[in-house]
Amino acid sequence: MRHRNILWFASVLSILLILPLITDDAFFLRIITEAFMWIGLAMAWDVLAGYTGYLNFGHGVFFGIGAYTTAILMMRSEWSFPFALPAAGVVAGIVALFAGLPTLRLKGAYFAIATWALSRAVQQVALVLEITGGPDGMRLPPFLNPKFFYMLMLGIVTATFLLFWFLMERASFGLKVRAIREDESGAMALGLNPTKIKIQAFILSAVPTGILGGMYAYWITFIDPASVLGDLVTDQAVVMAVFGGLGTLFGPIIGAILIFLFKTYFWAYLADYQVLYLIILGLLIALSVVFMPNGLWGTLTGYIGARQALRKGLAVNPQAENETEKGDKTHE
Amino acid sequence: MLLLLPQAIVDGFLIGGIYVTIAIGFSLAYGVMHIIDFAVGEWIMLGAFLGFYLNIWTQWDPFFLLPFVFIVFAVIGFVFQPVIHRVLSGKKGNPLLMGLVFTFGLGLMFRGLGLTVFGFYSHSIPSALSANSFFLESGNFFVTIPVIRFAGLVYALSITIMLHYLLKKSDFGLAVRALSQNRDAAGLMGVNAKRTSSYVYGIYVGISAMSGVLIGCIFSISAQMGGDYTVFSFFVVVLAGMGYLSGVPWAAFLLGFVQSFFLIYFNPSYTLLAVFAILYVVLLVSPKGMFAKGV
Amino acid sequence: MKHCLIAVLIFTLFTANPLLAEEARDFFKVGVITSLSGDLATGGNVTKRGYDLWANTLNAQGGIQIKDKKYTVKLFYADAQSEPSQGASAAERLATQEKVDFVLGPYSSGVTLAVAPVLEKYKIPMITGSAESPLIWKQKFFYTFGTVPPVNYTGATPIQTLAKMNPAPKTAVILGSNDAFSKATAEAFKDAAEKLGIKVLKFNIVPSGQDLTPFMSAVKVLQPDLVAFGGHDEELINLVKSLRQINYTPKALLMHYGVTEPAFIESLGKDAEQVFGASVWTTSVHAKSDMLWPDAAAYGKAAEEAFKVPADYTQAGSSTAGLAFQAALQKIEAVPPLSEANREALIKALEELEIQTFYGKLKFAKEGEYYHANVGITPLTIQIQNGKVVIVGPEKDAEAAAQYPLKPWGQR
Repeated sequence: MRHRNILWFASVLSILLILPLITDDAFFLRIITEAFMWIGLAMAWDVLAGYTGYLNFGHGVFFGIGAYTTAILMMRSEWSFPFALPAAGVVAGIVALFAGLPTLRLKGAYFAIATWALSRAVQQVALVLEITGGPDGMRLPPFLNPKFFYMLMLGIVTATFLLFWFLMERASFGLKVRAIREDESGAMALGLNPTKIKIQAFILSAVPTGILGGMYAYWITFIDPASVLGDLVTDQAVVMAVFGGLGTLFGPIIGAILIFLFKTYFWAYLADYQVLYLIILGLLIALSVVFMPNGLWGTLTGYIGARQALRKGLAVNPQAENETEKGDKTHE
Repeated sequence: MLLLLPQAIVDGFLIGGIYVTIAIGFSLAYGVMHIIDFAVGEWIMLGAFLGFYLNIWTQWDPFFLLPFVFIVFAVIGFVFQPVIHRVLSGKKGNPLLMGLVFTFGLGLMFRGLGLTVFGFYSHSIPSALSANSFFLESGNFFVTIPVIRFAGLVYALSITIMLHYLLKKSDFGLAVRALSQNRDAAGLMGVNAKRTSSYVYGIYVGISAMSGVLIGCIFSISAQMGGDYTVFSFFVVVLAGMGYLSGVPWAAFLLGFVQSFFLIYFNPSYTLLAVFAILYVVLLVSPKGMFAKGV
Repeated sequence: MKHCLIAVLIFTLFTANPLLAEEARDFFKVGVITSLSGDLATGGNVTKRGYDLWANTLNAQGGIQIKDKKYTVKLFYADAQSEPSQGASAAERLATQEKVDFVLGPYSSGVTLAVAPVLEKYKIPMITGSAESPLIWKQKFFYTFGTVPPVNYTGATPIQTLAKMNPAPKTAVILGSNDAFSKATAEAFKDAAEKLGIKVLKFNIVPSGQDLTPFMSAVKVLQPDLVAFGGHDEELINLVKSLRQINYTPKALLMHYGVTEPAFIESLGKDAEQVFGASVWTTSVHAKSDMLWPDAAAYGKAAEEAFKVPADYTQAGSSTAGLAFQAALQKIEAVPPLSEANREALIKALEELEIQTFYGKLKFAKEGEYYHANVGITPLTIQIQNGKVVIVGPEKDAEAAAQYPLKPWGQR
């Protein structure tokens, strides 16, 4: 099983690596690059929300901070991009550390709303500061090489994926965060330090997001408070992760790909029905929550797990209602 | 500048009154159903447009249309509640998140529908009351009170008092309070959780829709207006302590004061920054709201 | 038989392939990037109406006459969703997939700033019919032009008109909403007021969408003669309602874009009366042209017939962007598809262009802070009188005297 996963991963990665060599279609590469970005954002959001159960509704703040860090360093301090990009991750991580200390003491809805308030406050700060250009935003020197951004984005997102995979699925860290999700005081009784682990997860979620923000700034060449610190980044990352399936590595990836493709297709080829897009996307999200509370990936693996369990005789009585649930249990 | 102090206080109360109306139903719904409704702004928007079209059709003053708007949307909310219930009571997943995402999707859909049906332009609902204002003067001090805003404040307070009595003095209220304290025990005592939640959701949607009409009289309405009011609604409910109804007016007035004082005495650019910073700090210091009585 | 069918199918597929059809085209491919959805959809859809009207009217006449043949135009829409990143994607798609000859541009300055570098890369000319922020022109994009002059070019005019009133306003409170366009508007108002000796008692940038009633209460104490506000449609409506509610009537109330929008008059009714605004075009400006519409009134009539809403200067500016391309193409006599050399020549032609349109004189600046923005037309001061937009300044363009001071709200 593990072998097959590695094979899958290697072949997908090599196809993605070869892609820019066989095509020069800049639009196609741009779309894929943006898809990578959303995959990264959805994964990074899920690493906190899905694994620790803390719903960050101000996730976009790290994206915006990353974007502004890179932009300010490049435009005001004349750093070059290779230095300004990692700095975006570092600053996002530091902000996560200091914001996380007090905020992560909150639970459930309170945490969600506090992070959201924080992101709104940061957006207002960017609007009134001089160094961010206020509402006018900032322009970066255009370096419009589609293949460069494709490769870099692919590299960042793959590295993020591997890091998350190692920490969450292979290292003991993954077990620790899950323990916190299930029972925080129980985890404490086992000698774990929940505060420390939660902050680690928070930083883990913030750093890649900040780097992606820095990438975005240089790639799009223009940022302003509305575009990088607005609700869009958070909203879309959350929807993608939930649609795909929380608390898994593949769920957010699948959610990001499907939602992004749907959005892009609609945008590129059905532009006349743009308003319908909101209605359909809204309906899709609402329906998926009602009928697939585990997300697409969760439902799918649950279903497959159930089938396998039945075949191996580990489960009986396949009542339509209970099938997925039983499958889930056996699978675990 | 001291001259303006009475005005700043009065303006704070008047703005606060509007926030009471958009937050009180939300707080009630959270107390009973534990749902954070991202679509609250869109219910407000839909209600506002119903009021707008009814006003054109009947030529009645929007204040007389309020009961009608309430009934229409209370019925919609009542009928709709079982779907939300299903989302929130799922055994799997994170019900809080599911509720948030579900209502977020709902909000998107409503906004799309609003844009399709009502178009992009802003509108205003004319009311006979919006033409006048009281002017009070005593020595050096003076205060202007717009009649329409005053009417809004009176309306907000009457809704609050009505809800208060409904909760404290009726059997329905008893059931609601029981549900918000302990769901399982309330069920054992014979409270029909499903039915009561449906009523509560209906009342919440109805009140939000009515506030939309009020907003249309005082400000303006458009299909994209929802987001802003969702923001303020969240603010008030959290500051009050989620689900703690009696805290709502105070939190709403506080929000009103923050805005009026920043606009009058400090740098207006920082108004919204102050609003969100206060919300964040209050949450950190006292997560259960200013009175530490949230659920 | 079956094989034959497949062969035919493949053949038709190939011949229908747009890449192969590239050589034989009797129409121009025109990309349109604008915000059809998102926060700025209102304005974006106004520009769409302008672009559509130009294309439909032109095609109804057979198209652009070049030498002895007429070439129609075909619009390819790409929605920027009011997001700079989506604007950039849109530009890339139009450039690589649709292979457009030229582009009619975005609504807002943010999207324009993200779109322009992409089009520079593909060397595709763009004219935007509405972006008014001065930021764009400071960047000196070679391939980007605009038909609406930037707000720092137009903003001074209404203040100048007001300064000639009797008695002239002596004090002013100026505020702007916290977005790029509104802030620039407020700054333009402020500079002009200070130059003309009007004392600015208070100048503030306020968060977008904020209820300004308390602020206005403070303003009421200062009793300024003039209140000037830079903002968007909804904010303008709310501000007038605010002033009405606290019953404060300054001698003059000045706003910018949005006063000419039908929603402004419709929502405010009597309270919209006598509000001043800045504009570059109304249906009653003096402009004679031999391109598509003989004058502004004819354009207004055509727009009203097509969309059932009165045309404003954004829509007119968008149609004019099409006219500019049309005139420049005729001048260089280029036929579709435009080669890179053609497009280069097109830029040169646009820079030299000086034409009379229903919108007024069109002439793009070749240098300076207005680089590639239209500086041919005269900015106007307008006022709402009897539910209509009326030009009240500068003197040579005025069709009616300015009504000043503002009639108190209570006496309407």
